[in-house]
Amino acid sequence: MGNSVSRALGKLFGSREMKILMLGLDNAGKTTILYKLKLNKIRTSAPTVGFNVETVSYKNVKFNMWDVGGQERLRPLWRHYFPATTALIFVIDSHDKERLQEAKEELYAIISEKEMENVVLLVWANKQDLKGSLKPQEVSDYLELGQNLKNQLWCVVGSNALTGQGLVEGLSWISNNTPKK
Amino acid sequence: MSQGIYLTDGPVRRPQPVGNPLLRKIQRSCRLSLPEPDLALNLDVADYINEKQGPAPRDAVIAIVKLINSRDTHTAVFALALLDVLVKNCGYPLHLQISRKEFLNELVKRFPEHPPMRYSKVQRLVLTAIEEWYQTICKHASYKEDMGYIRDMHRLLKYKGYIFPKINDSDMAVLRPADQLKTPSEIQKEQEVAQSAKLEELIRRGRPEDLREANKLMKVMAGFKEDNAREAKQTILTELNKLKRKADLLNEMLSSSDTPDLKNETVSELHSALKGAQPKFQGIIEEEHEDDELVQDLLKFNDTVNQLLEKMDLLKAGDSGAASQIRPSNISSPPPNSTSGALATEINLIDFDDEPAENSNNVHQPTSAGDSHSDPVSDLLGGLGELSLSSGQSTQNFGLGGSIQLGSSQPAPPVTSNATSHSNSNLDLLGTLSSQSTSSGQPPQQSSSGLDLFGDFQAPSGKVFVHQSNHLKIQGSFNRDNKQTIKCKFFFSNVSVSAIQGLTHLVAVPKHLQLRLLPQSGSTLGGFINEGVTQEAYIEGTPEAIADAVKMKWKVTYNVDGKPVEETAVFTLPKV
Repeated sequence: MGNSVSRALGKLFGSREMKILMLGLDNAGKTTILYKLKLNKIRTSAPTVGFNVETVSYKNVKFNMWDVGGQERLRPLWRHYFPATTALIFVIDSHDKERLQEAKEELYAIISEKEMENVVLLVWANKQDLKGSLKPQEVSDYLELGQNLKNQLWCVVGSNALTGQGLVEGLSWISNNTPKK
Repeated sequence: MSQGIYLTDGPVRRPQPVGNPLLRKIQRSCRLSLPEPDLALNLDVADYINEKQGPAPRDAVIAIVKLINSRDTHTAVFALALLDVLVKNCGYPLHLQISRKEFLNELVKRFPEHPPMRYSKVQRLVLTAIEEWYQTICKHASYKEDMGYIRDMHRLLKYKGYIFPKINDSDMAVLRPADQLKTPSEIQKEQEVAQSAKLEELIRRGRPEDLREANKLMKVMAGFKEDNAREAKQTILTELNKLKRKADLLNEMLSSSDTPDLKNETVSELHSALKGAQPKFQGIIEEEHEDDELVQDLLKFNDTVNQLLEKMDLLKAGDSGAASQIRPSNISSPPPNSTSGALATEINLIDFDDEPAENSNNVHQPTSAGDSHSDPVSDLLGGLGELSLSSGQSTQNFGLGGSIQLGSSQPAPPVTSNATSHSNSNLDLLGTLSSQSTSSGQPPQQSSSGLDLFGDFQAPSGKVFVHQSNHLKIQGSFNRDNKQTIKCKFFFSNVSVSAIQGLTHLVAVPKHLQLRLLPQSGSTLGGFINEGVTQEAYIEGTPEAIADAVKMKWKVTYNVDGKPVEETAVFTLPKV
């Protein structure tokens, strides 16, 4: 009951809540991004075994951000996190060119799932601070999202988890491109 | 969907609103035009859920409970029938959904605070369903701790004064844990489905404690696949062992007389259990082909089962002569000798007056002197607790070389036959072990890795190893005093640090023998004292011919570290 009252009030003031699923290969920087957004701190984290959830509020929008570990053996479990997802954030290590193909395959595997057909897709081309990393445009070209995606809205944003560059832009793109219920 | 326009038998209605396929299927199986619940349609829903998993069990349950609460009794009854089919066919993922608090609250939405004078049909059915779940999945399922809310709802309704109808056994049998043999991949698949369902449910709930558990579960799912595989194998071994016991039991029941009662419920139950398990053997062998021991064991067991089934068929056809030719060997114990158990007359070996008679207390003592190498011991149907048998029926032939049988729930590693002069001895420790335990050794020649207690503990100086526990080791020397008497001397050694106090040793022998037990040399054993206490005993009335069949039951009680300990077992004397 209390929940629905606060939801109604939230509607009144235009605040929303959404589930955001953040996936990507291991060592892409998902957990670092999560805690940069949440605490504005860099937490050196060990590889995530399992997942982290934090709520990040930005402009009246509560983002429930789920950051699921990206190690290979965890990837089959990603699908359990799909239900009720509003937006998918796929984090790519733009410096790790060798695994770009792998990342692309995983991304397509996710968004071709039935449960994910209505999400909006944000790709964070992370680690822009590293020398020789691919520019967001290059990542975007490589992923060929324009040719392949029919249902989903998508966007590739360059990011740097250490400085926080690109993170807020990404979130505001999500909140602008999701339906205001 | 339909081609062209034509009238069907059913009334013309406006098309049902189209939702997702699952909801459509559910509506179809609950629609008003059906005269009675349609099992085929219901099973169709179950199949769909089993195939899709993910959110399907949850969506289905939510849709069904809505229908159960609809004003229309017809729909509600149909929805309950559908739910019943789903609960019985969709396993854990669905059970997890019906045990949700929200679901259960919805389910009893139309129950008034105080029970009405007469329950409506729907109320009665809901109460039946809850009682059934309470009696089955809440009690037997391996994940019963997840079903807490069903128990709570049951308690709440009872507390409010609702009376649950009695459930008949056949309805409950479906939801009992299936004692089924499964191949490793089947077990793993099942685990995976259950874990996935649980993970999704935890994520959905999203409370902090759920998320913590989800994280843990995820680690298990991702990291410990090998763990799962090992667990799966363990499950197989346990099931296999249960089946072996069933096979033996069936064999005994069929062999007990020329015209066994085939209508006997136990017989038919055992028969169907074996028959049902047989097709799985091949699957297990294929998947576990690298485990030679298991494969050999299975092949052998398969032969036995085949023989048993054939025998059963022959008996059914009335051909008891041919049936008696088939003598499957006991799979869970060494193969029997030519002498059958009928020759043996039962004598009750010992009853220590201060303890209830255990299964293994009944030892059959052969009276015929020519029967020197058979050693039938009534045994040990501890694990099959619900089947009560007169001990005359449950004769099993022990014998052959020195096998030690440690009862355990997995096939005990068979004992390597050893070539010592005492290889005739049977040390039956079963009596001391839990009631679950049943002898499960294989014939010695099959053995590879053995638990060779004799080899390890054989005393060099003619002493025979009798028993060893954490604290106490007992050895004995057995000599023939004269033609009729065996002189026994027992040596007690402390094998632990703690002192043993108040040591009391009791021995009993079959009734046709006389025992003279002399006092112990002492009752205290310091730490690591070797043979600190001795005791002599004379067993009279043992003609040489049957000397090897002398059995004695012993019991020691003592205090160690202030705690009382009691150890007891049956020991077969070596031939002297």
